[in-house]
Amino acid sequence: MKLITAIIKPFKLDDVKAALQAFGITGMTVSEASGFGRQRGHTEVYRGAEYTVDLVPKVRLEVLVDSGEAEKVIDVIVKAASTGSIGDGKVWSTPIDNVVRVRTGERGPDAI
Amino acid sequence: MGTRERRDRSNQADRDLSGIFHSAAAQFSISADSVSLSAVGGYGRGELSPGSDLDVLILHDGSVATDRLTEFVNALLYPLWNANRAVDHSVRTRNETRTTASEDLRVAQGLLDIRFIAGNRDLVHSVAADALGDWRKNFAKKKAGLRASIVERAERSGELAFLLEPDLKESRGGLRDINALRAIARTDNVPVSMERLASAEALLLSVRDALHTVTGRSRDQLLLTEQDKVAELLQFADADVLMYEVAKAARAVDYVMDLTWHRLDHVTKKSFFLKNKSQSIGRGISVTADEVTVDEAGDLSDATLGLRAAALAAQRGLPLSVDSTMLLAANFRPLPTPWPRSTREDLVALIGAGAAMIRVFEALDQEELIQKWIPEWEHVRFLPQRNVLHRHTVDRHMLETAVRAAELTRTVRRPDLLLVAALLHDIGKGYEGRDHSEYGEELIRPVALRMGFSETDADVLGTLVEHHLLLSATATRRDLDDPQTIEFVAQAVGDPGTLELLHALSISDGEATGRTAWSDWKASLVADLTSRVHDYLVGKSTERPAPQLELSNEQLARVEKGELSVTITPRDEVLEISIIAPDQTGLLSNIAGVLTISRMDVRSARTRSHGAGAAMTWLVALDANANAPSEEQLHSLIAKALQGELELSRKIEDRIRSHRQFPGIKVPPPVVRAMNDIATNATVIEVRMHDRPGVLFTVAKAISRFGVDIRAAIVATLGAEAFDTLYVTDINGGALSEERAALLANQLENLLITQ
Repeated sequence: MKLITAIIKPFKLDDVKAALQAFGITGMTVSEASGFGRQRGHTEVYRGAEYTVDLVPKVRLEVLVDSGEAEKVIDVIVKAASTGSIGDGKVWSTPIDNVVRVRTGERGPDAI
Repeated sequence: MGTRERRDRSNQADRDLSGIFHSAAAQFSISADSVSLSAVGGYGRGELSPGSDLDVLILHDGSVATDRLTEFVNALLYPLWNANRAVDHSVRTRNETRTTASEDLRVAQGLLDIRFIAGNRDLVHSVAADALGDWRKNFAKKKAGLRASIVERAERSGELAFLLEPDLKESRGGLRDINALRAIARTDNVPVSMERLASAEALLLSVRDALHTVTGRSRDQLLLTEQDKVAELLQFADADVLMYEVAKAARAVDYVMDLTWHRLDHVTKKSFFLKNKSQSIGRGISVTADEVTVDEAGDLSDATLGLRAAALAAQRGLPLSVDSTMLLAANFRPLPTPWPRSTREDLVALIGAGAAMIRVFEALDQEELIQKWIPEWEHVRFLPQRNVLHRHTVDRHMLETAVRAAELTRTVRRPDLLLVAALLHDIGKGYEGRDHSEYGEELIRPVALRMGFSETDADVLGTLVEHHLLLSATATRRDLDDPQTIEFVAQAVGDPGTLELLHALSISDGEATGRTAWSDWKASLVADLTSRVHDYLVGKSTERPAPQLELSNEQLARVEKGELSVTITPRDEVLEISIIAPDQTGLLSNIAGVLTISRMDVRSARTRSHGAGAAMTWLVALDANANAPSEEQLHSLIAKALQGELELSRKIEDRIRSHRQFPGIKVPPPVVRAMNDIATNATVIEVRMHDRPGVLFTVAKAISRFGVDIRAAIVATLGAEAFDTLYVTDINGGALSEERAALLANQLENLLITQ
């Protein structure tokens, strides 16, 4: 089993969600995140008040998948999240030892 | 589910207990003279819910041996335990009871409702007399502890009126608060409007009975999963109606609680009931015992009195007295359509008072006055919103939004529009099948026109309500780098002024909704979008500072001569004063000063220098206790002031000091901005601050001292906020250098902050 984590632009969430659902993914965790990569923060001047946007707002999305599906799911996310410009984000996968569904106690791939 | 069933249940319990008591007494040969059984707390009042514990106190006179007493008590309780009845019992002598009550607030309160069930009647009566006597005698000492326990409970259990899954007993506004109020009422320290609470208590008790019946348990938290069943059992149309009624009841309790503590805080050494000295603060309005009151002998047929009193109360951070609110409701007169300007400003000053406003607004709402002024309000009153984002009912959410908006008034040029939009942004909620933003836009336009806003302002309010979710929705869902996104928002919003209002409204709305709806993450996205749209709009717009006074050729000729003339024209409830005066350094501050010491409150003004003279048009409201001066009197005062013969500074200092003696509310600090205006070749100084006597005098004097000329001024008062625009030039006639302009703005801002 793999945990796929994606950091994407906030407005791309709806597209990625729709693409994953179309692929057959039924569950995911979404959270608000901030950070920077190559797209560094920048300084904004708004109505005379200057504030530094050193952390860029992003969305963090996590999906648990069967190991065999991981590559395909990553492709789906990358395709849906891409705008071609800087700051599109990153996707990575992490191996997972075990998963338990709290309600039923099912373990392993059955719990995904 | 009602008082009768609770009474029957209590009577039945009395009979059962009495039977067991007597048989246990007989079994252990205990004389019924040496022991007695009594009920305390809710059971003491003869009210028993299906799942409630039996709170009993077993009293003894100390003559029975401990072993025998223990066996007797066991014999009394075992049958109850065996029958699965929850009993909360204690065994004490009269003295022990007294000591425990002095140490434990809850015991002391419970004993106030002690009721005899069986055994020695006198023993129970003595304990009851001790309990009430001690409670009254020691209340001054107990007060702080009681209050702390109420506050602690509210923090732990939240507010009954606004929570999605409230605790009927523990939450703020719940049954335990009613008991606390009852206990306070028994001290006779202050009047407690218990009659206002009767229907609230009856409802909350019935809902609790139904909840106990539905769950078969004694838990008092009304969970979402049980609300439908409880509503059905009580024959409400649905759970929304049930929660509406619960919220309404809780709010009545809340209101009486706030008011009671306010009164307790202001009990002087003498009794509250004695006549307190009162001080007039406006026509027909006074402050008495730190409450704002409406003079009973005053003109109660004046339709504008209510909002005027409310604005004065909120701006001073004081409550509106309950008697006055009732008096206003009883003598209600509809406002003319459109509302007079002063009434609209009173509403804005009320909404703009920040957290202090809620108590005053709530008082008006309790007496159903708000919906009489704004009929659209009735539909959202206590309206629950059962969704995960919101914490509050619709009406309270809008009040909370207005409180946040009051902190943002310095970020916009039209604080009045921001505050009214905040108060009414969700007015379109709760209409089946209608999008609340779109329908809200339809509703708010006529409301705005009725309030006397111009068509243009009504349009802006319409845009704000229709698009109050636009910025947050777009910022999180659309690509901000895409020019189309920016264009789309710019088109919906229209101009930079509306954008700054919409941004402030989005922040207020988000913060009032809660952390789930408004995080720093979201705020930064919304700010980013706003700044991009702002740049786009500014590029296209011809936005200018407030325009200067226009004069006809004939007027210009008169101004040029610069001969002093004064005309006063009454306009509705304000005076229009037109002045032509010889232009000289300090002219604006001198005239503003004369008006201030003549007890006139400047609502708006436009002034402009031309040739040797200056023309000025002032709209002023006369102070409650002042007489209007004649044209001659004003003429001579101004002439003296221009000669430097009036000690204006000292007199205005006196006025500011006398204004300061009133407790105030927390307001955002003044903001001064400077920018150069190419069209007029002048520097524009914008001052945004909370209004108070002598503001213009201070501002104008400071600018003159800086060594620059004031060419024109546009002064506006919006509710309790002042917005002054001054066109200034250097001695050589042109705009100030950027550094000097910034220095002037900075000095002025510091002066206003420290003063």
